[in-house]
Amino acid sequence: MRHLLDLQLGDRIITLMAALVLVLQIAMVAQRRIVAHIRIFAAQSALLAAIAATIAWFNHAPHVYIVAVLTLVVKVVLVPILFKRLVERIKISDEIEPIVNVPLSVVISGGLTLLGYVVAESFYRPDEATSPTGLGHNALAVAISLFLIGFFTMINRRKALSQVLALLSLENGLFLAAISLTYGMPLIVELGVFFDVLVAAMVLSILVYRIRETFESMDVSLLRRLRG
Amino acid sequence: MLLIALLLVPVITAAAAYFARRRVVMEIANLVGFAAFFLLAVALAGKVLADGTVSLANGFFYADALSALMILLTAGVSLLCAAYAVGYLRADERTGVLDELDAEGDKAIARLRMYYTLTPLLVFSMLFVTVANNLGVMWAAVEATTLASVLLVTFYGRITSLEAAWKYAIIGGVGLSMALFGTVVAYYAAHQLAGSDALAGLNWSVLVQHAGQLDKQSMRLAFVLILLGYGAKAGLAPMHTWKPDVYSEAPVPSAAIMSTAMLNCALYALIRFYILTSRCLGPEFPGRLLLIFGMLSMGIAVPFVLVQKNYRRLLAYSTIDHSGIMVTALGIGSMMGSLGLMLHMTFHTVAKSLLFLCAGNVYQHFGTDVFAKIKGGVMKAMPLTGVVFLMALLAVVGMPPFSLFQSEFLIVRAAFVHGHVLVGVLFVLFGAGVFTGALMHVSGMILGPGGEVAAAPKQPWRNGSLVAMAVVLVVIGFWIPGPLLELIHRAAAVVSGYTS
Repeated sequence: MRHLLDLQLGDRIITLMAALVLVLQIAMVAQRRIVAHIRIFAAQSALLAAIAATIAWFNHAPHVYIVAVLTLVVKVVLVPILFKRLVERIKISDEIEPIVNVPLSVVISGGLTLLGYVVAESFYRPDEATSPTGLGHNALAVAISLFLIGFFTMINRRKALSQVLALLSLENGLFLAAISLTYGMPLIVELGVFFDVLVAAMVLSILVYRIRETFESMDVSLLRRLRG
Repeated sequence: MLLIALLLVPVITAAAAYFARRRVVMEIANLVGFAAFFLLAVALAGKVLADGTVSLANGFFYADALSALMILLTAGVSLLCAAYAVGYLRADERTGVLDELDAEGDKAIARLRMYYTLTPLLVFSMLFVTVANNLGVMWAAVEATTLASVLLVTFYGRITSLEAAWKYAIIGGVGLSMALFGTVVAYYAAHQLAGSDALAGLNWSVLVQHAGQLDKQSMRLAFVLILLGYGAKAGLAPMHTWKPDVYSEAPVPSAAIMSTAMLNCALYALIRFYILTSRCLGPEFPGRLLLIFGMLSMGIAVPFVLVQKNYRRLLAYSTIDHSGIMVTALGIGSMMGSLGLMLHMTFHTVAKSLLFLCAGNVYQHFGTDVFAKIKGGVMKAMPLTGVVFLMALLAVVGMPPFSLFQSEFLIVRAAFVHGHVLVGVLFVLFGAGVFTGALMHVSGMILGPGGEVAAAPKQPWRNGSLVAMAVVLVVIGFWIPGPLLELIHRAAAVVSGYTS
């Protein structure tokens, strides 16, 4: 049992999973089909729930378990179901057309990951033993990279629904940052954030549906009537 | 007790409107609900004046003079808009606007239900922003204001309103995710405080007492993220682009609430973080950033006001200008700047909501919001609206003897006193630009010769609320009731940190 309480092991497990999260984020950048996009988002969220559970185990922070369960319920089950039903209702499975082509997008994402590591370095203080960044120092770098890549993906997509998915993956980055910096926010804050994510997903899918109905397209670059 | 009642009233109002079957019931629910809300807000302000702060549930809810002032302003605007909305939406129903723009086959009554349910929910989330002590909960409430108002923007279901709502949702979403990142970093900065437990770790009232011990490097990053995030919500340049679209597409009473009370809420969130940051790092660092964004917002409004073709968009650019003014006042800091900020917030809330309501009257009568199509004649067709519109506009562009002149003068004086000469000069220049543009366009529309326009019919609800607010606007230019002035002074003291 003793090795299950070893912080070094915990750090390695978290680093591994954070790396997978990053791989999925880049896969999302490269993905061209919207249904696959939704699946990748669900898989990424499932990994985040696993990271939360791992942190809860190694740091004896029981309230983080609740956060892990909430992540599973909201981001792995509810939001993907909501979006899949939306895709069926508006009958689209057409390809996402990125503005920058896929190989270049992946290269840019690589650059943003580097930037994430540079920013995360400024938080790393190995001399402070009590600092929670002792666990999951890599996770913070990954979190900042997720945030930046999500931002880039939003700019890079024309389709309304894929912009929403990019926004949600950006939020996943924030979740990872919160959990690796401070073992997650206070529970009440996490509850508020999850509630907002769920409501935002619903509101945005109503909007996407109505844009699709009105324009016969989800291409938001058609939304350019209001000027000046 | 008072706080619980305040929180319950909008929720009950929303529920009553949601389950109502007839329009009259929804209207009464909103009117009664917001009247009660206003009375409770006044009572809360009284209690805060007497006791200093009011808190509840181990400090989960916390209201000081700053919160009480915000709640009072929110309550006033929402009561005004509830009365105005009755006449406004009835007129929309009569002219059939609600039926013909039907995308999904819902009847006009479904639209009305949406309006009368979402508005109390919007007010509820704005209230939650101002009474939440925990900065993370405050963030969630700010996000909730965006979510409640996005669907209000799509009220008319036009192509352009979908565009506006989409822009708003995306810019708001990205902005607020930055604010959440900032909140996380601030929590990290506070995490190393000795004796901070998991629950109170983000409570503002706790943090502000230990601001000096917060991790400086992290607070610096947190403030930048927060400024970008809540700045996008407040419509500071260059994140302002959603504002003209949203304010010109949303139903007029919603636009009035969003451009005053919701702007106040976003600034309120920013102010809370400013207080923490300036106590942690000294006022120079946050102040400089705020001044840059303030000047940029004021400056960017000028050309758009000068060449504006649409009066509702003109009002939106004026709001961008004013959020720049308020951020500048915050950046100048000190007691004088903070007092200017609080006075300006109060005066702007009164004058700008009035302006939007006047614009709503003109829009409903003439059926367009483009200057070129109206060509004057507002004064002939609707004299009351014309007079109030012009008066409120003079107030908003800072013409004495109206109140906004006083607050802007105070802010400029604070700028010069504290050595921000360039800021003071630019402030006056930009102010003059907006003054010229707004007055030129709007006075032409109201006083111009115009064609043959039918006189407007009687509009008791709309004109009644207009006159009531116009009286308030004139009176506060000369006399502010003692307790309100005291509340404003105390709120300014909270901002500048001269209290305990």
